[in-house]
Amino acid sequence: MRSNLLRFFFSLLLVSPLAWASAGNPPQTHEFNLSNGLKLIVREDHRAPTVAHMVWYRAGSIDETNGKTGVAHVLEHMMFKGTKKVKSGDFSRLVAAVGGRENAFTSRDYTAYFQQVEKSKLEEVMKLEADRMSNLSFDDAEFDKEIQVIMEERRLRTEDNPSSLLNESLMATAFMSSPYRYPVIGWMNDLMNMKAADARDWYRSWYAPNNATVVITGDVDPQNMLRLVQQYYGVVPPHELPVRKPQIEPPQKGIKQVEVKAPADSAQIAMAWKVPRLEPGKLDDPEPYALELLTAVLDGYDNARLNRVLVKQEKVVNDVGVGYDMISRGPELFLIGATMAKGKTVAQAQMSIRKALEELKQKGILESELKRIKVRILSNQIYKRDSIFGQAMEIGSNEMAGFSWKDIDYMLEKMQTITPAQVQAVAKKYLVDEGLTIATLDPQPRKTEVAKGSK
Amino acid sequence: MRTLNRGLWLVILTLGLIQSAYAILPIEKLDSYKGAKVFLVQTKALPMVDIEISIDAGDRYDPNNKSGLADMAAGLMNYGARGDKGVLTEAQIADEIADLGASIGVSAGGERAIMRIRSLSRKDLRDRSVQLAATMLSSPLYDAKILEREKQRSITNLLEAETKPEFVLDRRFKKLVYGNYPLGNSPSVKSVSSVSVSDLMQFHKTFYRGDRIIISIVGDVDRVQAAEIAQRLLKKLPQSGPAIAALPTLGRSPIEGLSEREIQIPFDSQQAHIVMGMTAIARNNPDYFPLLVGNYVLGGGGFVSRLMSEVREKRGLAYSVSSYFAPGKDAGIFQAGLQTKNDQATLALEVLSSTIAKFIADGPAVSELVAAKSNLVNGYPLRIDNNRKLLDNVSSIAWNDLPVDTMEIWTKQVEAVTLEQVTTAFQKYLAMDRMKIVVLGAKSKASP
Repeated sequence: MRSNLLRFFFSLLLVSPLAWASAGNPPQTHEFNLSNGLKLIVREDHRAPTVAHMVWYRAGSIDETNGKTGVAHVLEHMMFKGTKKVKSGDFSRLVAAVGGRENAFTSRDYTAYFQQVEKSKLEEVMKLEADRMSNLSFDDAEFDKEIQVIMEERRLRTEDNPSSLLNESLMATAFMSSPYRYPVIGWMNDLMNMKAADARDWYRSWYAPNNATVVITGDVDPQNMLRLVQQYYGVVPPHELPVRKPQIEPPQKGIKQVEVKAPADSAQIAMAWKVPRLEPGKLDDPEPYALELLTAVLDGYDNARLNRVLVKQEKVVNDVGVGYDMISRGPELFLIGATMAKGKTVAQAQMSIRKALEELKQKGILESELKRIKVRILSNQIYKRDSIFGQAMEIGSNEMAGFSWKDIDYMLEKMQTITPAQVQAVAKKYLVDEGLTIATLDPQPRKTEVAKGSK
Repeated sequence: MRTLNRGLWLVILTLGLIQSAYAILPIEKLDSYKGAKVFLVQTKALPMVDIEISIDAGDRYDPNNKSGLADMAAGLMNYGARGDKGVLTEAQIADEIADLGASIGVSAGGERAIMRIRSLSRKDLRDRSVQLAATMLSSPLYDAKILEREKQRSITNLLEAETKPEFVLDRRFKKLVYGNYPLGNSPSVKSVSSVSVSDLMQFHKTFYRGDRIIISIVGDVDRVQAAEIAQRLLKKLPQSGPAIAALPTLGRSPIEGLSEREIQIPFDSQQAHIVMGMTAIARNNPDYFPLLVGNYVLGGGGFVSRLMSEVREKRGLAYSVSSYFAPGKDAGIFQAGLQTKNDQATLALEVLSSTIAKFIADGPAVSELVAAKSNLVNGYPLRIDNNRKLLDNVSSIAWNDLPVDTMEIWTKQVEAVTLEQVTTAFQKYLAMDRMKIVVLGAKSKASP
């Protein structure tokens, strides 16, 4: 794979193929499947004596039901609250004692836990992580305190953050039936009414070796890792997982709009179009790659189209960004978000965004623009190897979306074959009003006067 | 799971403080060039190089009423330069960076301005990246129209930030702690508006010069190549310039009554934001390690700190709570903070205060000290395990004028810290009757 990627690189850079001999050995990656259904992926990186150890559970907010939104994330918090053998809080204390860094995160698609340690300490943390795969045990009092913490987290990240409120409304408007309409942290009212039993149900449903992938990157020996993982995770019994209903979002039949009023100074606009994602088993579908490249042509570097035209030339917006990720379990959006420049309206910004897209649809993009993007994608393949944690993230998130780590290089090669005409084609086909949702933030002044009687 | 049954502290004692046998890559100090210091760490595994240029030209040199000037002087380097073959527009700069598969960016912080370059190490690509960076650094265009645009953007961002609790809190707190020391100032609409092209030119001429620059390089280059990089970057910059007035010294936060130290900011957010802190130490202070280890116990140690335990684990009052020392080159501060829903602000502030007060008075327990050292020593490899982190370390060592063997002796210095040193140092630098407090939220009074 590597040689193909580097060949692309030569053809783009048009310089002599010196020095690539020093590109180092390609990363050695190994996959093992345990009899209890657990998958283990080991990537060797021997530059430094450290290791990243992650467990990914294929259970995120996409698997939640209405009324219990946020439960995936709540359980993530409760996973630090003790097992039959480890007291509440001791997990973190033990990881800290060996010098480890640890945390966990929940997304729409998955929940993941990780520790980074010096390599001789890996076994200690693996023992703990494997223990809480099946032995979690917390009491109701711990839950009652932690749910308060989570509500504080929601206040901090969402309630007092207008961009988050806007995004929450955008998702809930764009999707009618897909659980992607739920915020990962959950609706406040669902958090207020969540019970310890809800979290325990979630744990019993989804936390099983046959719903998990262990990713280890760093200065390790793969056979030794297999031995350890078999010893600690291999003993965890599998169980049947709940049936996942497809919950396919029905086709959108026209433009949707939503407005959010929140304390802010600048208005914001978010325009989101329904677009396809890459489907496992259909790696040759050019459209998702073309959408990724379209994202970069619009927003991939400082002189990319939207920044150049909207921020620098027309000065209609202060900042603009484009988001699309072809790798996901649920339905994807192609998102353009912008904050207004002083004195400009969302209507003006929308018009400028539409004009820039219209021009692209009509005239296409230049070969040179696309080439520039492809060079960056390739150089990033070298840079990303500087971080073992980043590599573990990339492997894990692809696996959770139903792809193999082995697909990653193939996707990058496929990306290099996309033509300007294919990028233009996806813009024409998908960036149309029929599948568009527009969310705007109408800024409100902060009321800074003191509430009556409290002075 | 056997070990887990034997009691936590026994486990920690057994695992802790084993000096690992890994080799730490040496920092090579190269010959200085045009007065600039040059440091190199060679890492050959990946065909890439990271370069950081630190310029002693941070916000602290903003003239009175021109807060934002240093920031603008650095930021505008991304948007136009005068090259050998004429003007390089902002578009040409951005396109060239993209075409090289590189990244180059300049920005200013409180103490220093920083340019960072990441490039593939292949000679032709590296040469072009360095050449472009050199042009941006030495010959910024400071075009009047672009300045106008960037001032507008900066003002718009500032007005937006002023609606955000964390920004309003931090700005007020910095002013309170730093007072008239330059790091207490922050940009206003008026100060940003007043920045002119000639201000930028003058600032650049005064501060961007060899004797105020440190270059740190990490990656796949040897000493000769690193020296070439440094020379190329500095080629068009002067070695020195006019004398620059010394910065004032930061006086210690004085003993004051609560009403003088505590500020309430009415704000209609759902959460109250609380910060408390005072002046502390610079990075080269010999008490740095006792304070580092002690603060790990108090509020630096993530999920296992006392603050986390008292505020979050025991009472569920906040999602995040922490304390830290921010030691700069010449001055530094200590601060601790949290966010909680408005009607819990009083309680949260009480818990925050009493936890810090108790720690200053009594210091850590033996078991806590052992756990802290164990974490810091065992975790040290994680601080230096890739090029990016190495660059952060080298650059910090160089900027703070620390010995080049700092990374090699770091764990020994942590291990050497005693309980008495921690307690003494906390009592020497921190005192509750000197702590500035800012409470921002819907209730005007944190105390009943």
